[in-house]
Amino acid sequence: MSAVLTVTPPAVETGPRGGTRAVLALARFEARRLLLSIPVVIAFVAYAAWIVWRTRSSWDGYPALQDVDRATQSMPMLVGLAVLLSANLAALRSVRHGTENHLAVLVMTPWRRTAAHALSVVPAALLTAVCVAGQFAWEAFKPGAVGRGSPAELLVGPLTVLLFGTFGVLLARVIRSAPAAPLVLVLLLFTLVLGTAPGGASGLSWLAPVVAETSPDTLPSDLLGRPAAWHALYLAGAALCAAFLAVLVAGARNLAVRAGVVLTLALAVTGGVMQAGGAAPSPELTAARERASVRPDLTCVEHGRSTYCAFPEWEPRTGTWAGVVDRVQSLTGGSAHDRRLVVRQRIDARYGMEGDAAIPALTDAHQVTVGTSWGGNRVPEFSSAVAAVLVAGTEDAGGEICDGRMVTLMWLSLSWQDDPLNALRRVRVDDSVRGSAVVLSPTDPLSMTEGQTDVVRRLLENSPAGVGEQVKAHWDELTSPGVTTARAAELLGVAGPEKADSCEE
Amino acid sequence: MNHPTVSASGLSLHYGRTRALDDVSLRLTPGVTGLLGPNGAGKTTLLRVLATAVPADRGAFTVLGHDPGTASGRQEVRRRLGYLPQTPGFHPDFTAFEFVDYVAILKELTDRGARHREVRRVLEEVDLADVRGRRIKKLSGGMRQRVALAAALVGDPGFLVLDEPTVGLDPEQRMRFRELVAGAGEGRTVLLSTHQTEDVAMLCHRVVVMAAGAVRFDGTPAELTARAAGRVWSSTERDAGAKAGWRTGTGSFRNVGDPPAGAELADPTLEDGYLLALDGADAEVSA
Repeated sequence: MSAVLTVTPPAVETGPRGGTRAVLALARFEARRLLLSIPVVIAFVAYAAWIVWRTRSSWDGYPALQDVDRATQSMPMLVGLAVLLSANLAALRSVRHGTENHLAVLVMTPWRRTAAHALSVVPAALLTAVCVAGQFAWEAFKPGAVGRGSPAELLVGPLTVLLFGTFGVLLARVIRSAPAAPLVLVLLLFTLVLGTAPGGASGLSWLAPVVAETSPDTLPSDLLGRPAAWHALYLAGAALCAAFLAVLVAGARNLAVRAGVVLTLALAVTGGVMQAGGAAPSPELTAARERASVRPDLTCVEHGRSTYCAFPEWEPRTGTWAGVVDRVQSLTGGSAHDRRLVVRQRIDARYGMEGDAAIPALTDAHQVTVGTSWGGNRVPEFSSAVAAVLVAGTEDAGGEICDGRMVTLMWLSLSWQDDPLNALRRVRVDDSVRGSAVVLSPTDPLSMTEGQTDVVRRLLENSPAGVGEQVKAHWDELTSPGVTTARAAELLGVAGPEKADSCEE
Repeated sequence: MNHPTVSASGLSLHYGRTRALDDVSLRLTPGVTGLLGPNGAGKTTLLRVLATAVPADRGAFTVLGHDPGTASGRQEVRRRLGYLPQTPGFHPDFTAFEFVDYVAILKELTDRGARHREVRRVLEEVDLADVRGRRIKKLSGGMRQRVALAAALVGDPGFLVLDEPTVGLDPEQRMRFRELVAGAGEGRTVLLSTHQTEDVAMLCHRVVVMAAGAVRFDGTPAELTARAAGRVWSSTERDAGAKAGWRTGTGSFRNVGDPPAGAELADPTLEDGYLLALDGADAEVSA
C-alpha cells in the first residue's frame, strides 16, 4: 500500500450555516462557473471587441448621447443568449450527470439551489452593465459629444442579460432536457434578431427585449418619445418573474415566493401595458415635435461676427460650427467677408424617429441651416451650405445656382479642408470627382455640372493661397448671377470646360 | 453501551406490492456497522430511508436525536449526514476540489475560507490532495470513489452512510478504501452496506444482516461467526442436507447447515454465519 492513514487531520471549524448564506455561497460558486463557461467567455470577448471596434469611429467622433444609449442595447443580446444557454446547462447539471438523488439528501433544498442559479446570472448582468457604462462613457468623453443619455435605455442591455439568464433557469425547471435551451436559442434568434424590424416600434414590438429604433437624424432627447423607463420596468419585472417562477416550480411554496411571483408579474404587466401605450406619441409630444420643427426654442450664442442658434443640448457644438463658418468666410471677398450670418439648427421631428423628411431651404437672407448630426460628411455639407449663402445670399437661392458661381461656391466649401479632393468626393452623392452630380447640404441639395466639376477639381489641385487671391480679387464677378463656368475658370487661372454646361445653354 | 446515534423502530416501506422494508428496528452506535444481505434484501432502501432520501411508510427513527419526520428535523439530520450512494454521480467537468466544495456548499458550509480548509482536509484524508485540481473525468474509478467519500465526509458528519462503496474497485483500491472507512469510523457512526463479508470482518464492530426487507441478525461479527459454530463441516461429497456447500481448493467440500452425526467439523467464518443468518430467506446459495 502506498498510502496509510496514520493521522487524520481534525475537522476544521466550518463557520455558521444558514439557508440564505448558503444560497449566496452557491450563487457565487455558480456565477464563477457561468462567467468562465465557454459560450459566455466567447460572447463577452466578442462584445468587448465590438465595443472597441465600433466606438473608435462611431458617429464620426461627434456622438449625441441620446443615440448612444440605444446603441448599447443590441450586442448584450448575444451575451444574453450565451448566458441563457450556460445557465440552463448549469441548472440541469444534476439531471445530466445523474447526481440529483445524491444532491437531494444534502441540506440545501432544490428550490434554494434554483434560487442560487437564478442569482448566479446577476454578475453576468453586472459585467454587461460595466461594458455598457464603458461604451457610453467612452462616447460621452469624446470632445464632440452632446446631449444626454437615458439611464432606462442604458439598463436595457444588462436587464436583457438578466432576463435571458433567469429564463434559462426557468426553462431548466420546466423542461428537464438539455437540448431544450439550444432550440429556444434558435427560436429567439429568429424572433428577436431577424424578426424585429429596426424601425418598427409599435406597441407589440416593445415586448421584445430590445427595440432598436434608429433615426436618420438625431432628435433632441425630450422629443424621442420612447417609453424607455416602462420598458426597463417591463424587462426587470419579466426577469424577476422568471426567477421567482423557476423557484416556485422547483418546489418553493412559501408565501414570499408566491408573493414574489405575483409582484414581479404585476411589474412586468404594468411595464408592458404602459410601454405599449407610450409607443404612440402623446398629444403633448406631438405638439412639442411640431413646435421644434416649425418654430423651435433655440439658444443663440455669438461666435465672432455670426450668431449660432441651437437646441440647448447642442449649444456646446456651436463653436465647432463657427470654426467652419470662419474658415469659409475668410476665403471670401467683397462684402461677404464681413457678413453676419445666422446659423440655425433645424430638424423635422414631426414624424418622430421614423421621419426622413427633407428640410426646406431657408429663404431669409444670410441664414444657414445646420442639422443635429456632425462629423464626417456633415462637415463639407455644412461648409457647402455656408458657401452657398455667402455666394447667393440665401439658402434657397444657393440651391438654384447652375452657373459659374458653383465653381467659387465649391472651392470655398472645400479648399480649406485637410483633403479637399476627398471632401469633394464625399460631399457628392455619386462619391466621384468627375461628371455631374448632386451635392449634399443640410437642406436642398446643390448640383454640379461636369464642366464645373472639372474646374473645381483643377482648382483644388492647385495651391489654395494662389486661388484665394484670385477669388478675393474677382469676388464680385465670380459671384454675379450669369457668370459662366468658363469665365470663372479664366478668372481663377485654370483651364475651363471643354463645352458649355447644359444649364448655361 | 454508547448512546445510539441512530435509533429506528418499525420501519416499513412498500414499493407497490413489493415489501422493501419490513418492520426494521435497529440502533447504531459510533464505529463502523456492516450491513450485509443479498441483492434485493432491502439494504439500499434502508440506507436511503436513513439518509432521508425516501420516507418510510411506517415507523420512526432519529439521528443524533433529530426526527426526520418533520421538515426542520430532516434538515437537522441532513446537516449531520454524510451519504455515499451506491452509484454516486459526478460532474465530470468539475475538479475534485470543486466537486467537494460544491457539496460542502449544499451542506450549507457558507464561510468560504473555512469551507475551503475543510475541503482540503477531507481531500487530504482520502489521499487526493495531489490531484485536487484535476478534473473528475480524468480520475480513475478508485479516485472517483474517494472523491465521493470526501464529499460524504465534508463537514464532519456524525453519521456516515456508505452504500457498497467498494463495488468495482480492484483489490488494492479496496484495501485503501477499507483504511479510509476505518479512519472515518473513528469518532463517528458509519453504516456500511456491502456484499463483502471480508470488509465486515476487518472493519466492523457490529453487523446487521438483512433479507427480504427484514433484519435477520444484529450483533457483533464474532456473534455472527459463532452462529456457525458446530454447523460447518467437511466431506468428500456435497452433503445433500447442507444449506450451502462448495468444493474448496483442497478438493473437499465445505458444508454449512445442520451437520450429520460424526461429521468432520470445521472452524466457522463470518461468511458461514452470514449464510446461516439468511436461512429461510429468498437468497439462493449455490454450490
